Amino acid sequence: MEIKHYDDMGDIGMDVMREVGSIGTGNAATAVSGLLNTDVRITLPDVKILGFNEAANYLGEPEEVVAAVLVQMSGDLKGIMLFLLKLDFINAVTETILGFKIEDYSQMDEMAMSAVTEVGNIIISSYVSALAGLSGMEINLSVPAVSINMLGGILSVPMIEFGYETDKIMMITGNFILGQHKLESSLLMLPDIESLNKLLKKLVNAGE
Amino acid sequence: MQVNKEIKVGIADMKITRQEGTLITYALGSCIGISFYDPGIKLASLLHIMLPESKNPTEPQVYKFADTGIRETLRRMSVFGGVKSRYICKIAGGAKMFEVQGNSSLANIGQRNIESVRNILRKEQIRLVRQEVGENYARTMLVDAATGKVAIRTFGRQEIVM
Repeated sequence: MEIKHYDDMGDIGMDVMREVGSIGTGNAATAVSGLLNTDVRITLPDVKILGFNEAANYLGEPEEVVAAVLVQMSGDLKGIMLFLLKLDFINAVTETILGFKIEDYSQMDEMAMSAVTEVGNIIISSYVSALAGLSGMEINLSVPAVSINMLGGILSVPMIEFGYETDKIMMITGNFILGQHKLESSLLMLPDIESLNKLLKKLVNAGE
Repeated sequence: MQVNKEIKVGIADMKITRQEGTLITYALGSCIGISFYDPGIKLASLLHIMLPESKNPTEPQVYKFADTGIRETLRRMSVFGGVKSRYICKIAGGAKMFEVQGNSSLANIGQRNIESVRNILRKEQIRLVRQEVGENYARTMLVDAATGKVAIRTFGRQEIVM
């Protein structure tokens, strides 16, 4: 099965990606549990293929401010990992690690920024290492970059990155649950189409 | 003040209005918002492009790219009676949302978009009178058809009217 557009994935492809997502997010949740010293789970991942304008609306409002940690993947699998988090998740991090809470994004100082970046980085790397182990692919990760800004502007980054090959983006998302609270955050895996083909080939063949 | 009609311009999209109404495009990151205004007939357009140039001569999504997008916008404006020599152009966007290392496309696409748009405008001999570009934050851009004024909304900064 060789796909040219994300839409060509079909049910089997979507199932495979959902499965990959749940193993990756499971690993990420364990890593965060250790870090925040509390029980962290992630909802079953959702695989969505959305147009540019739909994607921003699916995740929130375009002008809504969020924090985002971005890591680029290269090697056997190319693409972008993006971890989006809002105030409640940021506070769970700053309270545990730094011992204070913030009221709004303008109070994010350098310490809070680096704590958030580090947690994002741990979530992303544990997700990707599960994916690499499962598929036998070698995946390199860039240094994490962080931004606190409008959701629409942040999402334009992966959209532009894949803009020459597609009018849609594929997102594998999961929401974090900390103790009893569902936190407003999502982990997005955005592979390019060539890598998606490689990944599907590896995983579907491996299952036979 | 009368209630002003808001017309939303999506990503890789373009809208035109005359006399009244506000054209609005949300949260331009590395993308660029390009507004053309003909003060003679109060004709306003707002284009939201994502990439510097089209690589496909039969590209169906013309508004995704600076070259095909600007060309098609100018064509549509002239259909509505716009006179190119009167056009006033203002642009916003082209930010670098993430400080990533290296010279990847992700690191410099905003700058490449800005340069491409400026080049095309120079070739088309259109006056670029104001620009709010670069930096590291997203911008919402609003164009008022009655006056041609452009407002820029950002997170944590004061609104700019240009």
